[in-house]
Amino acid sequence: MPEPLGVYEHGYTCREIVDLAAEYVEAALPAHESTLFELHLNFCDGCFRFIDQIRDTAGLAARVGEDELPESLRADLLQAFRDWKRA
Amino acid sequence: MTARWTPRTAACSVGSVAETHTDARPVTDDSALVTRLLAGDERAFEDVARAFYPRMLAVAQGYTRTRAVADEVVQEAWVGVLRALDRFEGRSSLRSWVLQIAADIARTRAVREARSVPVSAFELDVERPETAVEPERFRGPDDPFPGHWRSYPTDWRRLPEQRLVSTETLELVKRAIDELPESRKIIITLRDVTGCSAAEVCDALGVSPEIQRVLLHRARARVRARLERQFDA
Repeated sequence: MPEPLGVYEHGYTCREIVDLAAEYVEAALPAHESTLFELHLNFCDGCFRFIDQIRDTAGLAARVGEDELPESLRADLLQAFRDWKRA
Repeated sequence: MTARWTPRTAACSVGSVAETHTDARPVTDDSALVTRLLAGDERAFEDVARAFYPRMLAVAQGYTRTRAVADEVVQEAWVGVLRALDRFEGRSSLRSWVLQIAADIARTRAVREARSVPVSAFELDVERPETAVEPERFRGPDDPFPGHWRSYPTDWRRLPEQRLVSTETLELVKRAIDELPESRKIIITLRDVTGCSAAEVCDALGVSPEIQRVLLHRARARVRARLERQFDA
C-alpha cells in the first residue's frame, strides 16, 4: 500500500481529484483550483497515472477508426445532389 | 522531494486527440466551399459528404436504432442542408451547422417513431450518480489518509508500446464504446473518435458544456476501467 506523502493535505484528496478530473482534463477548472489540482498531481503517482490513463483512453479512442461512407449511400447522396441542382 | 517539484505535464503516450485529428478545428474556408456547392460542384459535394459522414452518423446513431435508419437520417439531413444552403450565414462552421441539422432530423424521427424523448436523455444520464472510479479504491474515513488511493493505478507508460496500442486494445476500446449508454456513446464518438470540438458537440446536441463534459468524462472513465482490467490481468 502506497504511503501518502502528507504534504498535500491542505489540497485535494485523491478521491476529490478523480471527481474533478472531468473539469481538469477539459481545462474547465478555475485557475486557483487548477493550481491546487496540479500541485496534487506533482506529489501523487496514483492521481498522475489516473489522469494519464484518462488521456491515453481518449488517445486510443481517436485511433479506433471512423466509419466510412458506404458506397450505396454515396451514390444516393450524389443523386440527391443532382436532383437539388436541377430543381 | 524538491526534485519532483517541476510540474509534470501528463503527456499522453498514445498521441493526443489533437495530434490524431488535425482537423479538430475546421480550417477549410467554408464560404469558398459553400460557393462551390451552390455552383453544383459534384466533386466538392462528394468530398464534404465523405468528410462529414462519421460525425453525422455518430449523431444519427445517438437517436436511432439501426445503422440503416441512421444512414437514412444522414441522407435526409443532406437534403435539408442543400435546401437551406443559400441561407447559410456562416455564424457557425458549415460542419457544426450540418451536424445540427442531422441532430434535428434524428430527433424528429425518434419522436415520430414513438421512441423515448431523446432530448432529456443527456440530462437523465448526468443526474444518475456515478463515480469515475469505484469508491472502494479509496481509503475510508477511519484511515489516517481518508480519500487516498488504497493502491495506485498501474503505470501504463511501463507497458510496451505494442501492448498499449495493439489491435486487441483498439478492439477492446471500440467494444467498450459500443456498450456505453447512447448518451455517452454519442459524445465520446464525436469528441474522441471523430475529433469534434466541445462547442460543436454542444451545438449539435443542444446540451450544456457541463453536461457534455460530465458525460464525456464518464464515457472515458468506463473505457479506462475496461482497459485497466485488461492491462492488469
